[in-house]
Amino acid sequence: MSAGILTRAGAPVPRSLPAGTTRELLRRPAARVGLALALLLAVSALLGPLLLPDPNVPDYTDQLAPPSVAHPLGTDQQGRDLLARTLAGARTSLGAALLVMGIAGLVGLGVGTVAGSVGGIVDTVLTRLTDALLGLPSLVLTLAVVGMLGPGFWNLVLAMSVTSWAGIARLARSVARGAERRPDVVAARMAGVGRLRAVLCHVVPGAANQVVVATTLGLGEAVLALGGLSFLGLGAQPPTAEWGTMLAAGRETFAYAPWQLLGPGLGLVCSVAAAALVSDAMRDVTDPGRRT
Amino acid sequence: MTLAAAGMIVFGMLAVTPGDPARRVLEARGVTEPSPAAVAAVRAELRLDDPVVVRFGRWAADAARGDLGVSWRTGRPVADEFATRLPATLRLAAAALVLAVGMALLLGTAAAAAPGRWPDVLARGIALAMLVVPSFVLGVVLLDVVVVRAGLGRVIADGTWSTVFLPALTLALSSAATWSRVLRTSLLEAGSSTHLLVSTARGASRRRVLVVHQLPNAAPPFLTLVGLGTAALIGGAPIVESVFTWPGVGRYTVEAINARDMPVVVGFTLIAVVAYVAASLVVDLVCAAIDPRLRSGR
Repeated sequence: MSAGILTRAGAPVPRSLPAGTTRELLRRPAARVGLALALLLAVSALLGPLLLPDPNVPDYTDQLAPPSVAHPLGTDQQGRDLLARTLAGARTSLGAALLVMGIAGLVGLGVGTVAGSVGGIVDTVLTRLTDALLGLPSLVLTLAVVGMLGPGFWNLVLAMSVTSWAGIARLARSVARGAERRPDVVAARMAGVGRLRAVLCHVVPGAANQVVVATTLGLGEAVLALGGLSFLGLGAQPPTAEWGTMLAAGRETFAYAPWQLLGPGLGLVCSVAAAALVSDAMRDVTDPGRRT
Repeated sequence: MTLAAAGMIVFGMLAVTPGDPARRVLEARGVTEPSPAAVAAVRAELRLDDPVVVRFGRWAADAARGDLGVSWRTGRPVADEFATRLPATLRLAAAALVLAVGMALLLGTAAAAAPGRWPDVLARGIALAMLVVPSFVLGVVLLDVVVVRAGLGRVIADGTWSTVFLPALTLALSSAATWSRVLRTSLLEAGSSTHLLVSTARGASRRRVLVVHQLPNAAPPFLTLVGLGTAALIGGAPIVESVFTWPGVGRYTVEAINARDMPVVVGFTLIAVVAYVAASLVVDLVCAAIDPRLRSGR
């Protein structure tokens, strides 16, 4: 979806994922490329920092060195190895995006399930709140929340979580509302299963399935938005290695040290590409009407 | 409705912001260690001791009249600060909108004209590339390569039409990519309906069928997205304006956030929401005007 509108999670996701979705997905070259990219990013974010030197140790004898064997991506203004910083930044940026979507997914699942299962006035209030949040441009809202809390990594993560759960809540609510008359839920209720238990054991797992899909699809946008806001100086503060912050530093020296942009720029491009390819293929596979 | 909800959310933010606004205002005016008496005086001046509901009513009434309060940083009315910067942002957004719609139409129809063949693959590839390159990376590279090295345009954008192209292009790309993908899908969907078969049977050329018959049917989802995307353009403006030192409200807001100047942040949010609501309204009207199915109901 659009890079600007954050995780509306309005992606058409069917009631439940048909069997064989994974195999169908893996048959598509675009999905394979996307998944391979995602795997590569995950592995390098997890293992990279273990194998490389400390990304925060400055070396003032070796500032702004071009790429070489010792520093494959060169060094920055303070002589820090950019490959190490890029991989440490992958941890920060991708980890933050995972955290944001994780929080948004949990809150959305909770709010949506409660609204859909309890109904009545609770449903009305929660749905109004969700609609109000969805009615606002989310990047603008994120900016407002950051403005309120003040710039900083955790504040940015919090602001993005606050503004990303509404779409997920709407999705979870629609699943929960339809669930009451679903055969398995009716059977469970008739067998004497309590209402709370029926919701927890039968409705939530079904909704969770789709929430996981929707949050995964939102990851690319989350990475991009986090990077953009950090680039503006509203997120992680130096010396933390984070892609947006690194790009902001690289922007100042681009005229004579363009390699500073390479690592974090490529990281962002790969992350967004992976998310876009996988989500496209997923939509094709799960939505036969749109298959082209 | 949306406006009222947005107003409440935004005012709620203003009300729960940690720290005493009166103290902030004084600090912004250069008083480092304000005395309790001075703080109390400002509190009285801003009438901060009234109940929240009264303050909300007054704030909403002021906002409706275009009074967004006073900047904590400069002490000038927020509305004035925005008024001097809004034309530059509108210029940027308008140029970006035109570019984005143009590119999306071009790529989307090219792709849908020959699904699965090379123009389709090429157009989809271009759209994907446009989608994945972050605007702030592209902006930095464009600024250096085109402006500094090739000497085209000016480094410091002054907010006029002559310097709008590069920032607008940067702002437009990701929206154009998304829109072209949606347009392709809805064109293909519209292409499967039977009345197109009739048109083709009556001798209409492929291009005529695509542009005259398919496009209007595919337009509503596309236009809805464009309306929503206007919000993305406004949301993206702070980033692009900062990269290109564009003298608009987005960059001003980023500065305000760093200085914790809440009235300015709130003002920006309100302006963005108003623009968003207005765009949705325009889109609904345009859709009704071009979609034959919505028109025939009259």
